[in-house]
Amino acid sequence: MTVASLCGPTCGAPLFVHVLGATLLFGALFAITTVGFASVRIVEHGPMLRRLAFTIMLAGVWPSYILMRVGAQWVLAHEGLDNDSVPGWVGVGLLVSDVGIVVLLVLTLLAWLGLRRQRVGVWFAGLAAVYLVALGVAVFAMSAKPG
Amino acid sequence: MGKYEWLLFLHVTGAFLLIGGSVTAAALNLSALRRERPSEIALLLGLTRVAVLAIYAGVLLTIVFGLWLVSASPFGYGYGDAWVIATLVLWVYSNAAGGMGGKREDETRKLAERLAVEGDAPSAPLNARLRDPVTLALEYSSGLAIVVILVLMIWKPGA
Repeated sequence: MTVASLCGPTCGAPLFVHVLGATLLFGALFAITTVGFASVRIVEHGPMLRRLAFTIMLAGVWPSYILMRVGAQWVLAHEGLDNDSVPGWVGVGLLVSDVGIVVLLVLTLLAWLGLRRQRVGVWFAGLAAVYLVALGVAVFAMSAKPG
Repeated sequence: MGKYEWLLFLHVTGAFLLIGGSVTAAALNLSALRRERPSEIALLLGLTRVAVLAIYAGVLLTIVFGLWLVSASPFGYGYGDAWVIATLVLWVYSNAAGGMGGKREDETRKLAERLAVEGDAPSAPLNARLRDPVTLALEYSSGLAIVVILVLMIWKPGA
Protein backbone atom coordinates (compact mmCIF):
# COMPACT_ATOMS: atom_id res chain seq x y z
CA MET A 1 0.00 0.00 0.00
CA THR A 2 1.27 3.47 -0.79
CA VAL A 3 0.93 6.67 1.16
CA ALA A 4 -0.57 8.47 -1.82
CA SER A 5 -3.25 5.82 -2.23
CA LEU A 6 -4.03 6.14 1.46
CA CYS A 7 -3.82 9.88 1.08
CA GLY A 8 -6.36 10.44 -1.63
CA PRO A 9 -9.25 12.80 -0.97
CA THR A 10 -9.38 11.62 2.69
CA CYS A 11 -5.96 13.12 3.34
CA GLY A 12 -6.94 16.54 1.92
CA ALA A 13 -5.21 19.31 3.85
CA PRO A 14 -1.88 17.59 4.67
CA LEU A 15 -1.41 16.42 1.09
CA PHE A 16 -2.43 19.84 -0.27
CA VAL A 17 0.11 21.62 1.94
CA HIS A 18 2.81 19.13 0.88
CA VAL A 19 2.09 19.33 -2.86
CA LEU A 20 1.63 23.12 -2.81
CA GLY A 21 4.94 23.51 -0.98
CA ALA A 22 6.71 21.13 -3.37
CA THR A 23 5.43 22.89 -6.50
CA LEU A 24 6.31 26.32 -5.09
CA LEU A 25 9.76 25.03 -4.11
CA PHE A 26 10.28 23.72 -7.64
CA GLY A 27 9.19 27.09 -9.02
CA ALA A 28 11.41 29.10 -6.67
CA LEU A 29 14.40 26.89 -7.51
CA PHE A 30 13.64 27.23 -11.21
CA ALA A 31 13.58 31.01 -10.71
CA ILE A 32 16.94 31.17 -8.91
CA THR A 33 18.50 28.83 -11.49
CA THR A 34 17.27 31.05 -14.34
CA VAL A 35 18.35 34.26 -12.59
CA GLY A 36 21.65 32.67 -11.50
CA PHE A 37 22.69 31.67 -15.01
CA ALA A 38 21.50 35.02 -16.36
CA SER A 39 23.71 36.82 -13.82
CA VAL A 40 26.72 34.94 -15.18
CA ARG A 41 25.90 35.64 -18.83
CA ILE A 42 24.70 39.25 -18.57
CA VAL A 43 27.56 40.83 -16.67
CA GLU A 44 26.32 44.45 -16.73
CA HIS A 45 23.17 43.45 -14.81
CA GLY A 46 24.93 40.80 -12.70
CA PRO A 47 24.73 42.63 -9.34
CA MET A 48 20.98 43.28 -9.74
CA LEU A 49 20.32 39.67 -10.74
CA ARG A 50 22.40 38.26 -7.87
CA ARG A 51 20.49 40.47 -5.42
CA LEU A 52 17.26 39.13 -6.89
CA ALA A 53 18.49 35.54 -6.52
CA PHE A 54 19.29 36.17 -2.85
CA THR A 55 15.85 37.71 -2.31
CA ILE A 56 14.08 34.74 -3.94
CA MET A 57 16.21 32.40 -1.81
CA LEU A 58 14.95 34.03 1.39
CA ALA A 59 11.40 34.92 0.37
CA GLY A 60 10.60 32.00 -1.95
CA VAL A 61 12.81 28.95 -1.57
CA TRP A 62 12.95 28.67 2.23
CA PRO A 63 9.23 29.30 2.93
CA SER A 64 8.16 26.82 0.25
CA TYR A 65 10.67 24.25 1.52
CA ILE A 66 9.22 24.57 5.03
CA LEU A 67 5.68 24.26 3.64
CA MET A 68 6.65 21.12 1.68
CA ARG A 69 8.48 19.51 4.62
CA VAL A 70 5.77 20.32 7.18
CA GLY A 71 3.18 18.92 4.75
CA ALA A 72 5.23 15.74 4.31
CA GLN A 73 5.50 15.19 8.06
CA TRP A 74 1.79 15.96 8.46
CA VAL A 75 0.94 13.30 5.82
CA LEU A 76 3.12 10.74 7.61
CA ALA A 77 1.52 11.58 10.97
CA HIS A 78 -1.94 11.42 9.38
CA GLU A 79 -1.15 7.90 8.16
CA GLY A 80 0.46 6.82 11.43
CA LEU A 81 3.88 6.36 9.85
CA ASP A 82 7.28 7.56 11.03
CA ASN A 83 10.43 8.18 9.01
CA ASP A 84 11.70 4.63 9.65
CA SER A 85 8.62 2.74 8.48
CA VAL A 86 7.95 4.27 5.09
CA PRO A 87 7.99 2.65 1.64
CA GLY A 88 11.16 3.08 -0.44
CA TRP A 89 9.70 5.74 -2.75
CA VAL A 90 8.75 7.87 0.25
CA GLY A 91 12.32 7.35 1.50
CA VAL A 92 13.62 8.88 -1.76
CA GLY A 93 11.48 11.96 -1.15
CA LEU A 94 12.63 12.21 2.47
CA LEU A 95 16.27 11.83 1.40
CA VAL A 96 16.00 14.58 -1.22
CA SER A 97 14.23 16.89 1.21
CA ASP A 98 16.56 16.22 4.16
CA VAL A 99 19.75 16.56 2.11
CA GLY A 100 18.03 19.61 0.68
CA ILE A 101 18.46 21.48 3.96
CA VAL A 102 22.25 21.33 3.55
CA VAL A 103 22.00 22.24 -0.15
CA LEU A 104 19.73 25.19 0.60
CA LEU A 105 22.06 26.41 3.35
CA VAL A 106 24.99 26.27 0.91
CA LEU A 107 22.88 27.99 -1.77
CA THR A 108 21.93 30.73 0.69
CA LEU A 109 25.60 31.22 1.61
CA LEU A 110 26.59 31.34 -2.07
CA ALA A 111 23.78 33.79 -2.84
CA TRP A 112 24.96 36.02 0.01
CA LEU A 113 28.60 35.80 -1.12
CA GLY A 114 27.41 36.50 -4.66
CA LEU A 115 26.26 39.96 -3.55
CA ARG A 116 29.97 40.88 -3.41
CA ARG A 117 31.76 38.36 -5.63
CA GLN A 118 30.70 37.86 -9.21
CA ARG A 119 32.44 34.53 -9.78
CA VAL A 120 30.37 32.82 -7.06
CA GLY A 121 27.37 33.15 -9.39
CA VAL A 122 28.35 30.19 -11.52
CA TRP A 123 28.60 27.88 -8.48
CA PHE A 124 25.28 29.16 -7.20
CA ALA A 125 23.50 28.58 -10.52
CA GLY A 126 25.13 25.17 -10.99
CA LEU A 127 24.19 23.92 -7.52
CA ALA A 128 20.63 25.24 -7.90
CA ALA A 129 20.33 23.35 -11.21
CA VAL A 130 21.63 20.13 -9.60
CA TYR A 131 19.08 20.39 -6.78
CA LEU A 132 16.35 21.10 -9.31
CA VAL A 133 17.22 17.78 -10.98
CA ALA A 134 17.18 16.06 -7.57
CA LEU A 135 13.71 17.46 -6.98
CA GLY A 136 12.73 16.01 -10.37
CA VAL A 137 13.90 12.60 -9.16
CA ALA A 138 11.80 13.04 -6.00
CA VAL A 139 8.77 13.97 -8.14
CA PHE A 140 9.31 10.77 -10.13
CA ALA A 141 9.56 8.67 -6.96
CA MET A 142 6.52 10.30 -5.32
CA SER A 143 4.25 10.07 -8.37
CA ALA A 144 5.31 6.87 -10.18
CA LYS A 145 6.13 5.05 -6.90
CA PRO A 146 8.60 2.54 -8.42
CA GLY A 147 8.81 -0.69 -6.48
CA MET B 1 5.46 0.21 -12.83
CA GLY B 2 2.22 0.07 -14.75
CA LYS B 3 0.60 2.35 -17.29
CA TYR B 4 -1.32 4.28 -14.63
CA GLU B 5 1.87 5.12 -12.69
CA TRP B 6 3.62 6.36 -15.85
CA LEU B 7 0.62 8.50 -16.77
CA LEU B 8 0.48 9.91 -13.25
CA PHE B 9 4.20 10.71 -13.31
CA LEU B 10 3.93 12.57 -16.64
CA HIS B 11 0.80 14.41 -15.46
CA VAL B 12 2.42 15.44 -12.16
CA THR B 13 5.60 16.48 -13.99
CA GLY B 14 3.41 18.71 -16.15
CA ALA B 15 1.84 20.22 -13.03
CA PHE B 16 5.28 20.98 -11.57
CA LEU B 17 6.41 22.61 -14.83
CA LEU B 18 3.19 24.63 -15.06
CA ILE B 19 3.26 25.87 -11.47
CA GLY B 20 7.05 26.17 -11.42
CA GLY B 21 7.04 28.26 -14.58
CA SER B 22 4.23 30.42 -13.22
CA VAL B 23 6.11 31.02 -9.95
CA THR B 24 9.24 32.00 -11.89
CA ALA B 25 7.29 34.38 -14.12
CA ALA B 26 5.58 35.90 -11.07
CA ALA B 27 8.92 36.41 -9.27
CA LEU B 28 10.42 38.13 -12.32
CA ASN B 29 7.31 40.29 -12.85
CA LEU B 30 7.22 41.36 -9.20
CA SER B 31 10.90 42.24 -9.40
CA ALA B 32 10.31 44.27 -12.59
CA LEU B 33 7.62 46.26 -10.73
CA ARG B 34 10.28 47.43 -8.26
CA ARG B 35 12.70 48.67 -10.95
CA GLU B 36 12.98 52.08 -12.58
CA ARG B 37 15.58 51.60 -15.34
CA PRO B 38 14.03 50.36 -18.60
CA SER B 39 17.04 48.13 -19.34
CA GLU B 40 16.53 46.24 -16.06
CA ILE B 41 12.79 45.96 -16.64
CA ALA B 42 13.36 44.70 -20.19
CA LEU B 43 15.86 42.12 -18.93
CA LEU B 44 13.55 40.79 -16.19
CA LEU B 45 10.52 40.62 -18.49
CA GLY B 46 12.70 39.01 -21.15
CA LEU B 47 13.77 36.28 -18.71
CA THR B 48 10.12 35.32 -18.24
CA ARG B 49 10.35 33.71 -21.69
CA VAL B 50 12.34 30.89 -20.05
CA ALA B 51 9.45 30.42 -17.62
CA VAL B 52 6.95 30.50 -20.47
CA LEU B 53 8.68 27.49 -22.07
CA ALA B 54 8.15 25.53 -18.85
CA ILE B 55 4.52 26.74 -18.73
CA TYR B 56 3.88 25.59 -22.32
CA ALA B 57 5.36 22.15 -21.57
CA GLY B 58 3.30 21.96 -18.37
CA VAL B 59 0.09 23.00 -20.12
CA LEU B 60 0.55 20.26 -22.72
CA LEU B 61 1.54 17.50 -20.27
CA THR B 62 -1.22 18.26 -17.75
CA ILE B 63 -4.07 18.22 -20.29
CA VAL B 64 -2.90 15.25 -22.40
CA PHE B 65 -1.99 12.96 -19.53
CA GLY B 66 -4.71 14.34 -17.25
CA LEU B 67 -7.45 13.37 -19.71
CA TRP B 68 -5.75 10.02 -20.32
CA LEU B 69 -5.57 9.43 -16.57
CA VAL B 70 -9.32 9.90 -16.17
CA SER B 71 -10.04 7.03 -18.56
CA ALA B 72 -7.15 4.85 -17.32
CA SER B 73 -7.85 5.38 -13.63
CA PRO B 74 -8.76 2.31 -11.59
CA PHE B 75 -10.88 4.51 -9.30
CA GLY B 76 -13.84 4.90 -11.67
CA TYR B 77 -13.40 8.57 -12.55
CA GLY B 78 -15.38 9.86 -15.54
CA TYR B 79 -15.28 12.87 -17.86
CA GLY B 80 -18.71 13.87 -16.53
CA ASP B 81 -17.54 14.17 -12.91
CA ALA B 82 -18.06 17.68 -11.54
CA TRP B 83 -14.44 18.03 -10.38
CA VAL B 84 -13.14 17.00 -13.82
CA ILE B 85 -15.42 19.50 -15.60
CA ALA B 86 -14.57 22.29 -13.14
CA THR B 87 -10.87 21.55 -13.62
CA LEU B 88 -11.15 21.72 -17.41
CA VAL B 89 -13.05 25.03 -17.24
CA LEU B 90 -10.41 26.49 -14.91
CA TRP B 91 -7.60 25.10 -17.05
CA VAL B 92 -9.03 26.84 -20.13
CA TYR B 93 -9.56 30.08 -18.18
CA SER B 94 -6.06 29.98 -16.69
CA ASN B 95 -4.47 29.53 -20.12
CA ALA B 96 -6.60 32.18 -21.77
CA ALA B 97 -6.03 34.75 -19.00
CA GLY B 98 -2.33 33.92 -18.71
CA GLY B 99 -1.92 34.11 -22.48
CA MET B 100 -3.66 37.50 -22.73
CA GLY B 101 -1.72 38.87 -19.76
CA GLY B 102 1.52 37.58 -21.25
CA LYS B 103 0.79 39.21 -24.59
CA ARG B 104 0.17 42.59 -22.93
CA GLU B 105 3.35 42.18 -20.91
CA ASP B 106 5.31 41.45 -24.05
CA GLU B 107 4.28 44.86 -25.35
CA THR B 108 5.58 46.36 -22.09
CA ARG B 109 8.89 44.53 -22.59
CA LYS B 110 9.21 45.92 -26.12
CA LEU B 111 8.55 49.45 -24.81
CA ALA B 112 11.19 48.92 -22.10
CA GLU B 113 13.71 47.72 -24.70
CA ARG B 114 13.05 50.80 -26.83
CA LEU B 115 13.44 53.14 -23.86
CA ALA B 116 16.64 51.36 -22.80
CA VAL B 117 18.21 52.15 -26.17
CA GLU B 118 16.98 55.77 -26.01
CA GLY B 119 18.89 56.73 -22.85
CA ASP B 120 17.64 54.22 -20.26
CA ALA B 121 15.94 56.92 -18.17
CA PRO B 122 13.00 56.11 -15.86
CA SER B 123 9.70 56.51 -17.69
CA ALA B 124 6.22 57.24 -16.33
CA PRO B 125 4.41 55.54 -19.26
CA LEU B 126 6.52 52.40 -18.74
CA ASN B 127 5.74 52.37 -15.02
CA ALA B 128 2.06 52.80 -15.79
CA ARG B 129 2.13 49.90 -18.24
CA LEU B 130 3.90 47.71 -15.67
CA ARG B 131 1.11 48.42 -13.18
CA ASP B 132 -1.71 48.12 -15.69
CA PRO B 133 -4.59 46.71 -13.59
CA VAL B 134 -6.04 44.65 -16.47
CA THR B 135 -2.72 42.89 -17.10
CA LEU B 136 -2.18 42.27 -13.38
CA ALA B 137 -5.75 41.00 -12.95
CA LEU B 138 -5.36 38.60 -15.88
CA GLU B 139 -2.08 37.23 -14.57
CA TYR B 140 -3.05 36.95 -10.90
CA SER B 141 -6.43 35.36 -11.71
CA SER B 142 -4.64 32.87 -13.96
CA GLY B 143 -2.37 31.91 -11.05
CA LEU B 144 -5.33 31.70 -8.67
CA ALA B 145 -7.14 29.36 -11.08
CA ILE B 146 -4.12 27.04 -11.03
CA VAL B 147 -4.22 26.91 -7.21
CA VAL B 148 -7.95 26.09 -7.32
CA ILE B 149 -7.18 23.33 -9.84
CA LEU B 150 -4.65 21.94 -7.35
CA VAL B 151 -7.36 21.98 -4.66
CA LEU B 152 -9.70 20.06 -6.99
CA MET B 153 -6.95 17.55 -7.82
CA ILE B 154 -6.32 16.80 -4.16
CA TRP B 155 -9.89 16.73 -2.79
CA LYS B 156 -11.73 15.57 -5.95
CA PRO B 157 -15.11 16.71 -4.57
CA GLY B 158 -17.93 14.41 -5.61
CA ALA B 159 -15.62 11.58 -6.70
